[in-house]
Amino acid sequence: MHMSDALLSPAIGGTFWVASGALIAWSAKKIAHEPDGVKTPLMGVLGAFVFAAQMINFTIPGTGSSGHLGGGLLLTVLLGPYRALLALASVLVVQSLFFADGGLLALGCNIFNLAFFPAFIAYPFLYRVIAGNSLSAGRIATASITAATAGLLMGAFSVVIQTTLSGISELPFGTFVLFMLPIHLAIGIVEGLVTMAVLLFVAKTEPALLSMQSQPSGKPAFIFQAFIITTLAVGGVLSWFASSQPDGLEWSMARVSGKEELQGNAATVHQALASIQQRLAFLPDYGFRTPAGQPETTPAADNPVNTGTTLSGIAGSLLVLLVAGSAGLLLRKKPQHEECSP
Amino acid sequence: MSFGTATEQRDAPEASGNLPAGDQASLGILALFIMFVVSVPKHNLPAVIAYGSFPVFFITAAGIPLRPIAKRLLRLSPFVLFMAAGNLYFDRTPFSAAGSFTITGGMVSGSVIVAKTFVALGAMHAFSLCTPFHRFGSALRSFGVPEVFVTQLQLVYRYSFLLVPEARSLRKARDLRSFGGRGNDLFSTAQLIGSLLLRTTSRAERIYMAMCARGFRHSLSMEQKKPFTATDTAAITAALICFAAVRVLFAP
Repeated sequence: MHMSDALLSPAIGGTFWVASGALIAWSAKKIAHEPDGVKTPLMGVLGAFVFAAQMINFTIPGTGSSGHLGGGLLLTVLLGPYRALLALASVLVVQSLFFADGGLLALGCNIFNLAFFPAFIAYPFLYRVIAGNSLSAGRIATASITAATAGLLMGAFSVVIQTTLSGISELPFGTFVLFMLPIHLAIGIVEGLVTMAVLLFVAKTEPALLSMQSQPSGKPAFIFQAFIITTLAVGGVLSWFASSQPDGLEWSMARVSGKEELQGNAATVHQALASIQQRLAFLPDYGFRTPAGQPETTPAADNPVNTGTTLSGIAGSLLVLLVAGSAGLLLRKKPQHEECSP
Repeated sequence: MSFGTATEQRDAPEASGNLPAGDQASLGILALFIMFVVSVPKHNLPAVIAYGSFPVFFITAAGIPLRPIAKRLLRLSPFVLFMAAGNLYFDRTPFSAAGSFTITGGMVSGSVIVAKTFVALGAMHAFSLCTPFHRFGSALRSFGVPEVFVTQLQLVYRYSFLLVPEARSLRKARDLRSFGGRGNDLFSTAQLIGSLLLRTTSRAERIYMAMCARGFRHSLSMEQKKPFTATDTAAITAALICFAAVRVLFAP
């Protein structure tokens, strides 16, 4: 699933370079002051272990082909997200520079797709939630398969988005998604099974290894940051691919009345409120305001990029986060202080 | 991923000639070159071929062995080939004609994808064969990459040459004992990988003790940061002018 330089535009490649560089700097800062020095060589050796483990291939049942371990989730379970991101990023740098897997410009995309998703999304939100600190075979199996599959699917979907936005490929977005996701679903399940089997082997023979990773300090802050990143990505980028077809209500109205939008009431109060809404809406219909008399611009079919939609998506997402956060703060129960007994 | 050429790659830098500029400037020039190559429009094959002359000239002038590069380039990623084939299938608009044969837009853009991959990877290989890994680490340090990441990179590179032969021995031992493919299944192999993992972690502890005994203090950096010299600036400027000239001539 390595991206290639030839499939990227400089803008998309550069953007993901900045994103992955920021992730590396953030992770390096997080672990810089940890006193446990043995983890530095452990990270290096485990990074090399991923290379080595990829030499040992296995038969994929029912296909006649063979596969190998990817190692993203396994490293995260063993090292924790920050160290795993650094270890995986270093493996990708060595692969890119010395073994021609991926490319230099594509390195940012590859770190994002193959390291960020397993380390910062699949592990904290799926693996940790399902497996917790338990060493039970059932929990480790469920957590490994779910998290590995989800991590790979997110990475594959990200590849589709990066390629489509770069505009180099002629593959239609839908066809590309339909091609990539089922294949990576199968690969993800196999990766999950191998990760599960390795973790169960380790849990049986040396369980202490599974409890040595440092968890993110200040988990609520970490989760909040991850939510912000995901929200901005969904609001700012995925909104380009929203369907332009009418929604369920508009469709029903069109079937009944022949118009997608009903005419408003001619009453003065209604008109006044509509006028206020028109003036307050700084991004009407999820785009920039067009001067009176000019037709609305729609994005070209082959290029979904729309700055107005991006700004609307990001502004809307941040406003909802702000409103939801403020409501939560207002409704939060005040902690009851225990009175000290004399 | 193949480690067959890795030993050649590890040994080659010492044998190869020095780069005309410092490592820091060379890395910068490589990044600039790749940016110029990928920015070529998707239907402009001549411009990509023109950019291909830079790595060809560099490989020839530096006396880099051609075989490891050619072997690696010929093993193109199936993903890249799939994307090129996608263009071939989905873009059938006539682009030009050679006699009675119509060349479609997809044929050209698919060829551009493959050509860009060859050119970008060729340049990267030429750079990696001329730059020993510790000097690559120093170049990264001078760009302000966090020390923990550079140390991590150097450890991964160093220990992959120890662990890969061990993994190969494990695989060979398994293959010698498995008849008719028995023992190659996913769960048996996972136990083998688990065993390699346990050996790896115990090796990490021994390595740490050995490193501490040799004065390791969370960094493998032994060299002073090299300043950016006037030669480096001149090399980057010359490269920029050459790359821009090709762009203006072939893809205005």
